[in-house]
Amino acid sequence: MSGAMTDSSLSAPTAPPPRAAPLPPAPRQLGRVNWLGLWTLYLKEVRRFLNVVTQTVAAPVVTALLFLAIFTLALGRGTMQVHGLPYALFLAPGLIVMTMLQNAFANTSSSVLISKVQGNIVDVLMPPLSAFEFTLGFAAAGVTRGLLVGLATGLAMLPFVPLGLNDPIAVLWYAFNATLMLALLGLIGGIWAEKFDHIAAVTNFVVVPLSFLSGTFYSVERLPEAWSFVAHFNPFFYLIDGLRYGLVGVHDGDLALGAVLVGLVNLLLWALAYRMVASGYKLKP
Amino acid sequence: MEKATAAGAAWRRPRRHGRIFWPGLWALYRRELHRYLRFAPESLGGALVSALLFLAVFSVAWPDRLQLQPGVPALSFLAPGIAAYALFHNAFENAAFGLLFDKLEGMLGDILMAPLTPAEILAGYVAAAASGGLIVGAVVLAGLALFVPLPLASLAAVAGFALLGALLFALLGFLTGLWAEKWDRYAVVDTFLVMPAALLSGSFFTPAILPEAGRLVLQANPVFYLIDGFRAGFTGVAEASALLGLAINAALAAALALLAWRLLRRGWKVQS
Repeated sequence: MSGAMTDSSLSAPTAPPPRAAPLPPAPRQLGRVNWLGLWTLYLKEVRRFLNVVTQTVAAPVVTALLFLAIFTLALGRGTMQVHGLPYALFLAPGLIVMTMLQNAFANTSSSVLISKVQGNIVDVLMPPLSAFEFTLGFAAAGVTRGLLVGLATGLAMLPFVPLGLNDPIAVLWYAFNATLMLALLGLIGGIWAEKFDHIAAVTNFVVVPLSFLSGTFYSVERLPEAWSFVAHFNPFFYLIDGLRYGLVGVHDGDLALGAVLVGLVNLLLWALAYRMVASGYKLKP
Repeated sequence: MEKATAAGAAWRRPRRHGRIFWPGLWALYRRELHRYLRFAPESLGGALVSALLFLAVFSVAWPDRLQLQPGVPALSFLAPGIAAYALFHNAFENAAFGLLFDKLEGMLGDILMAPLTPAEILAGYVAAAASGGLIVGAVVLAGLALFVPLPLASLAAVAGFALLGALLFALLGFLTGLWAEKWDRYAVVDTFLVMPAALLSGSFFTPAILPEAGRLVLQANPVFYLIDGFRAGFTGVAEASALLGLAINAALAAALALLAWRLLRRGWKVQS
């Protein structure tokens, strides 16, 4: 039996063709940035939310439209004006920013936390991705979701509210900074949180209140003196105010100050998120 | 030997119970309610914060001493509507989440195998979900009452409409859980049916400010009668007839219960 096998293998005339000696295994050479890895991480993150598009895009758009309806009906009553604008026109940009903020935060925080809880975060930590690429990949996907949802909300509101484009540069700057700020906060929150209760607490007690009370629904001039003063230290206020200026041309605060401030806040948050990822805080044992 | 066999036979005899298997129903109810209570810090905290945020926004944006209904301060008009919304939405969420989670995790078999009739399974899930919603509604109402004067015109109306609304939305949630095969389906019902019906139901405005067509749409929405009746239980001022509201919503709840019972009995989407 064994002889037959040896025989047949001996009789096989197919000797392997001569090959060049295999190279010794060597690490893949990457440039300064692993572009392929970064792009793959970004695509994975974007596909994650596009896979459940009803929850991640349609639901926030419908919620914003419902808010537009109830607040316009309850507050506007056809006559109310803010800064000389009909109330609905004042409100719409606020709701767009609010939606962008909440969704950029939800994207990064839920992705990182779910990966941690389910244990598949190692699939992102093991590949040759630097802390910079890790942070950028997650943040960029959060920005993408925020911008996509914001754009969809704006388009859905157009039939009801004559939104314009008063200052495209302001719109781009503030939309980018708004989504980046919350995507970074979400990344930081997702790394810090150990269970879903933690991130639900941050969403319920920090993100939603700040996005509600920072001038989405009213001009901060309506606040009592002391609160109006406090509002000017709140970065969310500048995000909402700036984007409202970009879309409909009215604002409460100093635009140049706001533009610089939100950029600085984002630099700080970036540094913090980067440090957390680089040190492996709550990501690596 | 003889004795042992006899004891074995006695042990194998099916358990007897009356028309309704109360211990099983009670166990299912407790299991479900226990699940909601585990998430209570999140669901109560979230509902309370968003209710207070709505209150804060309206109290800043509305002019002082505004009245939407004669003799009722605007914020007293608002508070019951916000609490009712929290109650209804939570009851829906509880029922849909409980059933869908059991289905997706394969735990529903444990309940279908137990000696529970379809009616008992339906009753257990729906009663527990409605109870969870009522707890959330009560807590939100208590939180709002700290800031807003709330008279109590009729306890019977408050309790009746709260109970009916909780049952209606829990039944809707149960049907959603039965129909859904993944979480996205649940989001579809929540986004396109429950939230619009519950938010555009006159919690934040009176029919008087709507154009004619809008008023007709509002009056075709059963949730409008629930919110109106519930609010009138506090303020004593109603937009529509309480009896009409009770009749419409009781009929709707009965129809949903019948539908859910029949689907469950057929094993629709739960038994292969």
